[in-house]
Amino acid sequence: MKLALKLAYKNLIRAGLKTWLNALALSFAFVLIIFYNGMIDGWNNEARQDAIAWEYGTGHLRNAAYDPMDPFTIQDGHGVLPEQYREHLTPILVWQGTLYPHGRMMPVLIKGIEPGQTTVKIPSGVLKNSTAGYPVLLGRKMAESAGLKEGDQVLLRWRDRNGTFDAVEVTVAGIFETNVPFVDGGQVWIALNTLRKMTGLTDEATFFIADENYTPTPVDGWTFVDQKMLLKPVTNLINAKKYGAAFMYLLLLAIGLLVIFDTQAFSIFRRQKEIGTHIAMGMTRGEVIRMFTVEGAMYSIFAIILGGIYGAPLFIYLAKNGISFPVSGDTMGIIIAPTIYSIYSTALIVKTFLLLVISATLVSLLATRKIAGMNPVEALKGKAL
Amino acid sequence: MIKFIFKGLIRDKSRSLLPILVIMIGVFLTVGMTGYIRGFIEDFVDQNARLQTGHVNVVTKAWAENESMMPLDLALLGVDTLLTELQTDFPGYRWSPRIRFGGMLDVPDENGESKKQGPVMGMAVDLLSGNTDEIDRLNLKTALASGHIPREPDEVMIGEELAKKLELKPGDKVTFIGSTMDGSLTFQNLVVSGTIRYGVRQMDNVVMLLDLRQARSILDMEDGATEILGYSKQGVYSDEEAGKVRDAFNAKWSGSEDDFVPVMRRLRDEPTLGYYFTYINSFSGMMIFILILIMSIVLWNAGLLGGLRRYNEFGIRLAMGEEKGHVYKMLLYEALFTGIIGSVVGTAFGVAFTLFLQYKGIDISGMIQGGTMIMPNVIRAKFSPDLLSIGFIPGVIAMLIGNMLSGIAIFKRETAKLIKELEI
Amino acid sequence: MNAFILLLISVLWTGLKFPDPNMILDRVDQNMLSTTKILEGRMIVYGKRNTRIITFRSYSEGIHKSFTEYLTPAREAGTKMLKLKDNLWIYSPAADRIIQLSGHMLKQSVMGSDMSYEDMMEDRKMKDVYDATVTGEETVDGRKCWILELNAKVEDVAYEKMKIWVDQLRYVPLREELYAKSGQLLKRVVMSDVKRFGDRWYPTKINYKDVLKNGKGTDFIITRLQLGVKIDEYIFTKAALKK
Repeated sequence: MKLALKLAYKNLIRAGLKTWLNALALSFAFVLIIFYNGMIDGWNNEARQDAIAWEYGTGHLRNAAYDPMDPFTIQDGHGVLPEQYREHLTPILVWQGTLYPHGRMMPVLIKGIEPGQTTVKIPSGVLKNSTAGYPVLLGRKMAESAGLKEGDQVLLRWRDRNGTFDAVEVTVAGIFETNVPFVDGGQVWIALNTLRKMTGLTDEATFFIADENYTPTPVDGWTFVDQKMLLKPVTNLINAKKYGAAFMYLLLLAIGLLVIFDTQAFSIFRRQKEIGTHIAMGMTRGEVIRMFTVEGAMYSIFAIILGGIYGAPLFIYLAKNGISFPVSGDTMGIIIAPTIYSIYSTALIVKTFLLLVISATLVSLLATRKIAGMNPVEALKGKAL
Repeated sequence: MIKFIFKGLIRDKSRSLLPILVIMIGVFLTVGMTGYIRGFIEDFVDQNARLQTGHVNVVTKAWAENESMMPLDLALLGVDTLLTELQTDFPGYRWSPRIRFGGMLDVPDENGESKKQGPVMGMAVDLLSGNTDEIDRLNLKTALASGHIPREPDEVMIGEELAKKLELKPGDKVTFIGSTMDGSLTFQNLVVSGTIRYGVRQMDNVVMLLDLRQARSILDMEDGATEILGYSKQGVYSDEEAGKVRDAFNAKWSGSEDDFVPVMRRLRDEPTLGYYFTYINSFSGMMIFILILIMSIVLWNAGLLGGLRRYNEFGIRLAMGEEKGHVYKMLLYEALFTGIIGSVVGTAFGVAFTLFLQYKGIDISGMIQGGTMIMPNVIRAKFSPDLLSIGFIPGVIAMLIGNMLSGIAIFKRETAKLIKELEI
Repeated sequence: MNAFILLLISVLWTGLKFPDPNMILDRVDQNMLSTTKILEGRMIVYGKRNTRIITFRSYSEGIHKSFTEYLTPAREAGTKMLKLKDNLWIYSPAADRIIQLSGHMLKQSVMGSDMSYEDMMEDRKMKDVYDATVTGEETVDGRKCWILELNAKVEDVAYEKMKIWVDQLRYVPLREELYAKSGQLLKRVVMSDVKRFGDRWYPTKINYKDVLKNGKGTDFIITRLQLGVKIDEYIFTKAALKK
């Protein structure tokens, strides 16, 4: 084997430019696979982290009657969670209301959150520090569509638990920037106790966000949805993009492999004499085949080295500085950070590495089939094929 | 001489078959891939344009500001006058007014009591005026899943998933409940004439397609429309051209303080779409470039190897007194031949593949979930004449260059050494 | 001690100065509520871009039963609405169907006006729902009025607080203001053009306005009013809607 490796290496190096061209063709596939998957993984990772940081925490404990997809369940989907279960949980109360910015009517979801909470990144502390009567927090997207800025007062109308109308001027105490559209559009964040007073829903909540120390315990009337379940739609969407792109880089890989096959097939033809000599000198056919296979497979190593040379700076740059996207994903209903930092996991690199080496080896092996049937004497004369 | 070269190629399979095969595959991949990527982008843009945005669209300023709420009361009025104006000012475009509106479908039981209800998104387009091009534009004939396209004013088509949900089939009666432009409740009995399937969830689950005039009467918005969509008569969206049209139109209305002044927007101004546009365009440009680059390398390689393989043959030919220049020339002719043949066949296959995809498509619905964008569920390639050259020229050139480079070796050979070389 | 006497005197004084609020409400009911009523009128909806006039005829018996038929414009003609206690049905001639309004559909505006179907549904006697106090006097449209402040005594009421200006002689409310719990004014109703119908006084122009929305609100103008006439019981049935 050592000999085969040595010979293969020498043969390839001697071929000079040709070898490097072949390796270059294959390296495109290598670089592209890592580039694209690294980007998607980076996006995925950021989206997951953002979703966890802003919305999901370690999971949600929902009132059984509440379905976040169905606004009609808000009316009844709330309750009091017994005291002993409340550890490591941040309560959120959801209520419907109408905002009247500039004489327009805008249906909104009012969300009550504890100002002191630290489980999610909603900057609820602002609500505590504000001196306004009814301070509220808005996401940037929401603030833009309502035409509101920090310090603005706007009328919020709602109905309490009995259906009685109530309305107050709320003050925009802060506007936060988030990549998670689900805590931004059409929502008004207010201090939990304020909302409880506003609605008469003392001590009630619609759902709770769990922190990392929470251990799920079954409670009657409440359902726990863990982080993994909550994240599923987020990751599904992004992974779908992964499969869509696989087509592209598998094609590139196929072309790269075609080059190797091509090269190896010709090289065997051209080197009949050499093969004949090897066999005449006592090498078995298997050994010759192995030598040629190793030679072909070695292209993939060269490709990886080559790809590494021009790819690595690119990868490092992307991991450090990221790629900026001109538009945020809010309108698309997906979480997309303005800058995506690629992530290159060891698994990704190892997998791509193996994919390349194995496929190149298989293709080279395929190219050596003719050697098996070669007559060494004819081969020596250069007339075996 | 051509005959001679040709015979040589035919008789020596290794001289023709393999290089041709390599070129063929390479050219095929380049052409097919390009068609595929183009098709994806164009399909995507096209579908959005056809269903939602047009190449350009005209709405009122107030509607544009509140678009997400689909506020009918902010719709365009005096559409006929505006249409005439648009037609004279921008003859390069076809204009079609539409109404998008929300409401509910109520399915009665035999006693007229509500049996089932579901939200619908109404989309009113000209179906019955006699000289409409919306039926083709919306691909209604292809999208038709059952029944027929409305022939009477009270006939509507609904999305297939919606039909399933409400247990409706062609011929069933439904009542539309909604609000008029002025906010009155409005009820209209309609007959489901057929169901449509676009393979786009946002459409198939909620859409109700009906004639514009009927919608105007239901919604009490005579001569009104929520938007007027403009489609370039050339059929292709051009960013630059659409931008010019937009600027010209908006300049005419600028200075008006009226909330209901019409404003024009182009396809790309839709923020999400615009972003996708840039992204996909640059990405696919890069892909095509890499593909062509790699293919050139592959083909060059093939030519190089072909030349090396025939080292002995050239030696004999030189020994027999053939001019070096002539051998070289013949080699290039051969390369040109094989290059052309391979490229022609490869292009043919590539185009066939593209056309196949253009008409049959690949269903990727399983890969796409959710999202508010209208994404085609079936990927279709797009044939354009430049596909004929995009693989062909690099194919031939790569082959030629490969042989030119490899052929240089011919000149390096010393006649004196030839016999010695040939001894073995 | 002095403070207590002062308080007592002031209470007695106000008691003397202002009549019993419940008496005022009773007198208003006496004047306004008739066992049966047939009313013809028009509704003027001021939109951003146009003004619409809708004419209607309505029949009512007590406060739980009412039946309204729209007469013009052509597209609203024949639309009928029946309210029996908590239920509201609408009949549309275009669709020839009777549809019961419930849930979010009740939040829809009536014919594009500032009034929602829900607003129409409140039919309990004010006295049963609110505690009233007379807080002062004011002249509205040249008529001396008591100002009544009403605070809800039950929980399930849409407006926690109301203010009503009642004509001191005719017992016709001339203005109403509906407030949110916080005290925020939500809706304002202005009644004017009070006319005499038999022994009753009735406003013939009512402007109803959602003060949170831009616009001029909606006018209701009564063109014909018959009080205490006999109305066929059949009118207040679902069958009458289709007729």
